[in-house]
Amino acid sequence: MHTPLRLARVYRIIGLTILTIGLFAGAAPASASTGSGWLRLAHLSPNTPAVDVYLYSFHNPKALVVVHHVAYGTVSGYQKIPSGEYTVAMRKAGAPSSSPPVISTTVDIHVGAAYTVAGMGPADGLRLRVLRDKLVTPRGKALVRIIQASLSQHLVTLRAGHSLLARNVPFASVTSYHVVKPGTWVVSARGQTEHTSSTITLTAGTIHTIVVLDSPGDIRLDDLVDAAGSKVAPAGAPATGYGGTAPRPGGSDLPWLILAGAGVLVSIVGVRKATRPAGAHALGGGRSAGTS
Amino acid sequence: MTYQAGPRRPGQPASREVGSEWAGLLPGRRPPPKHRRPRTRRRVAQSAGIALVASGVLAVALGLGGWTLAALSGRSEVAKPSAGGIGQVPVPRGIGARPPGPSGRRRVARPVKLVIPAIRVDTKLIRLGLTSVHTLQVPVSAAIAGWFTGSPRPGATGASIIAGHIDSQSGPGVFFSLHKLRPGERVYVTRANRSVARFRVTAVRQYAKDRFPTAAVYGPVPDAELRLITCGGSFDYATGSYLSNVVVYAVLVR
Repeated sequence: MHTPLRLARVYRIIGLTILTIGLFAGAAPASASTGSGWLRLAHLSPNTPAVDVYLYSFHNPKALVVVHHVAYGTVSGYQKIPSGEYTVAMRKAGAPSSSPPVISTTVDIHVGAAYTVAGMGPADGLRLRVLRDKLVTPRGKALVRIIQASLSQHLVTLRAGHSLLARNVPFASVTSYHVVKPGTWVVSARGQTEHTSSTITLTAGTIHTIVVLDSPGDIRLDDLVDAAGSKVAPAGAPATGYGGTAPRPGGSDLPWLILAGAGVLVSIVGVRKATRPAGAHALGGGRSAGTS
Repeated sequence: MTYQAGPRRPGQPASREVGSEWAGLLPGRRPPPKHRRPRTRRRVAQSAGIALVASGVLAVALGLGGWTLAALSGRSEVAKPSAGGIGQVPVPRGIGARPPGPSGRRRVARPVKLVIPAIRVDTKLIRLGLTSVHTLQVPVSAAIAGWFTGSPRPGATGASIIAGHIDSQSGPGVFFSLHKLRPGERVYVTRANRSVARFRVTAVRQYAKDRFPTAAVYGPVPDAELRLITCGGSFDYATGSYLSNVVVYAVLVR
């Protein structure tokens, strides 16, 4: 009886291990992938000198992230952070972290959402704007929005090829997203005195922000990819299996387990029969004889 | 193991004494050989017991053996790599892939190879498009994986899609052990220019096919991510299809 007992123990341990792994598999991804959003930081104020940007978890005086010497025209990559309330503060580059910030704002990061916090406007009217960045495109289309950050050209008109993207966008403003036919476009920006153009590929399923920036004696365009997905989402669910390792139909474990269970019962009966004292046998026999 | 019911009188066989005692206690007449019965019964009972134990043990062994075989039948090659050699899969070396810059304009080369040391996957990547009914094309061979050319290249901004089979009609496929990946484990994609994009697994999920989360899998994301897709759950022999998909979510390591 040792072998089946040991086997049973082995199977119990295997069963527990599988359950434990299952529990962890259920618990771990939840904390790893849910409950976070994305944040990126930008300096888009033409006549504001470089700044140090601080990111604080709300009410926590210790900064989570410090980005030093962020100059005009700089946009960080997205950082994945847990959802919740944060404070973004800008200090003059090199200023001590204990000094009062030039400007600060709070941003509420929602699960699965993306935000851009940008310092905008002229130096004497600097504001921190919290922009909610889109993460969904219409099927087979691209999305484009404009951030007008050129102080030298107060109104700028943008076109993709011959189609109008936005007319007379004022300095320090942000347009809503425009639906654009995918393709490679010559995007032109025309202000009162300056104009520029840039070849930009807008792939289906991508979301872009085009920033109009002052460049010494000129303006220029910066194309930011906010987010990207598949050009066209495939229909349905992928058929990625032929079933060669799937359990055969009717190949249930149940008959085998019933056989094993019956074996255990038969063994117990056998052991009791073989080891029962003679008196018990005799009495048992006698009783049956008496009742028959 | 005593069969002695009481003190034995010298010179008298135990069985006889016991038998005669009972004969007096029991009503009705007993046939003459009855007094020998206890020993016979004892032997019969003993051998019957041993036979029962033996058959019981045999049944337990058969049952557990059959159960084990049934459980492992298809999945018996778990430990064996479905592609590449036996043993550890070496981590690919190459130019470290830089994460996409804020502009996201950096072009990355197309992916040619996928390595997942934790589940011993080492496969070349073919190109996958869409079928005539707009579903995701899947590799003809179950031994290799493919990159969906409609998705961003691995390492560029966005969710890059790589699909592979869990099995062929006869055995495990390249993504047979995909469901065993755990958050934190590494995935390496080598590009045509020999640069390597390193990804960290963030989640492993299983979805019923009729509730496949198209937006979460194929939709836009702001960072460089990777989705590894295969089948899972139970297999429907009527339709010749698995009923679920396993999706591994991974993010580029900065």
